[in-house]
Amino acid sequence: MLIYILRRLALMVFVLWGVTLAAFLISHALPADPAAAALGNNAREAQLQEFRVRNGLDKSLPVQYGVYMGRLLTGDLGTSLRTQNSITADLKQFFPATLELTLGAVVFAVLIGLPLGILAALQHGKALDLLARIFALLGGATPVYWLAILALNVFHERLGWLPGPGRLDAYSLAPPVHSGLMTVDAVLARDPQVLVDGLRHLILPGLVLGAFSAALLTRMTRSALLEVLSQDYIRTARAKGLKGSRVIWRHALKNAALPLLTVFGSLFGSLLTGAVLTETIFSWPGIGSYATTSAISLDFPAVMGVTLVAGLAYSLVNLIVDLAYASFDPRISFS
Amino acid sequence: MHPAEASTPLASSTARPLLSKPPLPSRLLRRSLALALALSLPLAAAQSGRESTLVLGGDFSDLITLDPGVSYEFTGSLLAGNLYDTLVAYEGNDLTKVRPRLATSWTVTPTASGSRLTFKLRAAKFSTGRPVTAADVVYSLNRVIQLKTPSSFLLTDVANLKVGSVTAPDAKTVVMDIPKTANPNIVLALLTFNVAGVVDAAEAKAHEQSGDYGTAWLKDHSAGSGPFLLNRWDRSAQVALDVNPSAWRKSPNIKRVILRYMLESAVQQSALNSGEIDVAWDYTPDAFKTALKNPKLKGLKTGTFQLQYLGMNSGKGAAFEDPRVREAVRYAIDQDGIIKSLLQGLGRKTQTIIPIGLAGANTALPYSYDPAKAKALLAAAGKSNLSVDFSIPTGSCAGGVPCQDLAAKIQSDLAKVGIKANIKQMVSADLYTMYRAQKAELIMAPWSPDYADADGNGTPLADFNAKSLAWRNVWQNDAASKLAQSAAIENDPAKRLGLYKQLTELVAKDGPFAILYQPYKPVVISASVVGFGRNANGDVRFEKISKK
Repeated sequence: MLIYILRRLALMVFVLWGVTLAAFLISHALPADPAAAALGNNAREAQLQEFRVRNGLDKSLPVQYGVYMGRLLTGDLGTSLRTQNSITADLKQFFPATLELTLGAVVFAVLIGLPLGILAALQHGKALDLLARIFALLGGATPVYWLAILALNVFHERLGWLPGPGRLDAYSLAPPVHSGLMTVDAVLARDPQVLVDGLRHLILPGLVLGAFSAALLTRMTRSALLEVLSQDYIRTARAKGLKGSRVIWRHALKNAALPLLTVFGSLFGSLLTGAVLTETIFSWPGIGSYATTSAISLDFPAVMGVTLVAGLAYSLVNLIVDLAYASFDPRISFS
Repeated sequence: MHPAEASTPLASSTARPLLSKPPLPSRLLRRSLALALALSLPLAAAQSGRESTLVLGGDFSDLITLDPGVSYEFTGSLLAGNLYDTLVAYEGNDLTKVRPRLATSWTVTPTASGSRLTFKLRAAKFSTGRPVTAADVVYSLNRVIQLKTPSSFLLTDVANLKVGSVTAPDAKTVVMDIPKTANPNIVLALLTFNVAGVVDAAEAKAHEQSGDYGTAWLKDHSAGSGPFLLNRWDRSAQVALDVNPSAWRKSPNIKRVILRYMLESAVQQSALNSGEIDVAWDYTPDAFKTALKNPKLKGLKTGTFQLQYLGMNSGKGAAFEDPRVREAVRYAIDQDGIIKSLLQGLGRKTQTIIPIGLAGANTALPYSYDPAKAKALLAAAGKSNLSVDFSIPTGSCAGGVPCQDLAAKIQSDLAKVGIKANIKQMVSADLYTMYRAQKAELIMAPWSPDYADADGNGTPLADFNAKSLAWRNVWQNDAASKLAQSAAIENDPAKRLGLYKQLTELVAKDGPFAILYQPYKPVVISASVVGFGRNANGDVRFEKISKK
């Protein structure tokens, strides 16, 4: 298995190199001047020229790419054209916020989608199945920005049950940053108020971001389980006199897990990199809103940094999912 | 222990032997109550701080640094004005007269090479506890000149300052020598801007890295003498300012100011209605109209110096080369309709290039909405069926109206007189790259002056040689250039006003612009907020605010 993992990691290097090249070429294909984007409409020509020279934008594209790759090999993702911050430092700051939100969304998606899908399959054709199918349809079809504004309006503004945008209440200051995950940092700072506040702030954006995933998981769990439940070995297990719950958990679900694992992997990857709208509406300082601001302002190094992190996240999640297959299906081996 | 304390129920319960625990439900109840109490105590403390904390929600994503010498964005200026002092400043909404700030008085005397400005400083302290001295002022201005920041040109190109121009003969006197090419009144106007904010020189030097004059440190720290100091800036989340105990501008009521990043107007509305924020910074015109009906809210139409305009390429062979075609466009635009229906009244009608509120503004309205006259002018110019590319930005235009809505209205107005405007919407970076290359045929864009003086618009919009808006629209008019240059350096206020009258009339008649409107910036505040004011420069003095 170790050799398999090393081979995959080596392949990942080529994938990420391809990602940098594609991102670089697409970014620079735009007919726009990043200096003008960074300095604004009023900037004078001398300022623009000075900016281009300072940031190496006056050099040819191959030279710029070479300089970028040279820095990347030393772990330096470059400097943001807009903020002049280190991209590595920016990503270290913004990625944990997205990771925390994604984990929250995944927890909600699994807690809702998996049991609902199982119950729908077991109650096939009954009222609960119908409800689950309606949920799967609505969850998959509802635009996230609409759901986010609706959730804020109902649960925050009108009912006052849950806090509004942001990771914390405006009146409580964030704890010192260690991990970047608000809840973990609150625990490290032994601050129960911030911990509770942080968890409460995760509920609405987590639910909104997780709604689509919950719907998809419901549908996939239901259909995978329905297929497995009609197999001969399930009938055999039942004929042997095994308890219903044992048949479901040990035989049916385990065999339905492979397609679910695939879906889960791609969902996690897309949640991690696609939370732009949720982050924007919930004022969540994550990598999605960072990517949007950077793309609009033609901040190429920042866009490339985000793209690289997204590529890395996808690759790692895929690797973990592939490795997890073996624990569910004994026929799969990495030798 | 006092005998009375020993007999209290709490003391007796804590003295209870461990083995004789209360029944489980009772223990659970007690523990739950203790946990609830522990969690509610900080909340109660936070609640008590609400009256002295002001929370603003808005799109503050333009903030990239808090260094006053580097910041050139709206949010940076807003914060720097509360973290730092300048030598002089504007008070309230009167942006025609500079007033004392760190300088209690100043004189302007002519010299052989130009003018000398001499400032006398008041007794003031930085948030670090050090006294503000003339040497700090000299250091602060010199660092901006040497750093070549985005706003350095204001000191180097407009005020014509260089290292050595500003000196400190004693701890409380600052002397500034400017050449004849710089107008002392414009220099004073520039000194109100955060680029001239005074930094604690010792603190900046202590944090200097590789000759950066402390810029990296000042990006997210403060070292000023303003009424507030920076507590922390969680980027893309919030900025927290705390009251500066050493400040001479005291903030008696507000002890903490928090700027919460909220990009969406709908989210700001939700947060303001729920009481989570006290001030909403970016309401759309429709939302503002609704807020005016809510007795718990106050809607403020705050001024700006922004102009939303159409730029017409007037170069040789271009669609708008003939001045009659440009005039036709000005007659074709229904400004009243735009302001009433699209902006919901959040705009002022103006047709000249100096914004209302600045000395030199010309409030004349020579163009009435007259499609018939526009058609006649186009026919006379032989352009009865004109088709042009109409470039517009994405997102919101000045005043918060979606750019595509505004463009659709203009397209419709122009169609009525026979001009077919083909809308091409693009992100600002693409749009301005094209505009800077003189390749925009017809463009819709906003413009704000770099400083609160008529020259902030006079030179870029009228002088082709300045390589700004007149140049981008390929409009070269030597008389306009000469008038703009003369007005810029004219010291006599009455003569200067006369020059700007001539200039604004000339550009309104012949120039490449059709001014659409001068927007208000809508700010919605909770009815409990008192003393909130925002001037056309975007300055808000947090120390003057209180909450009922």
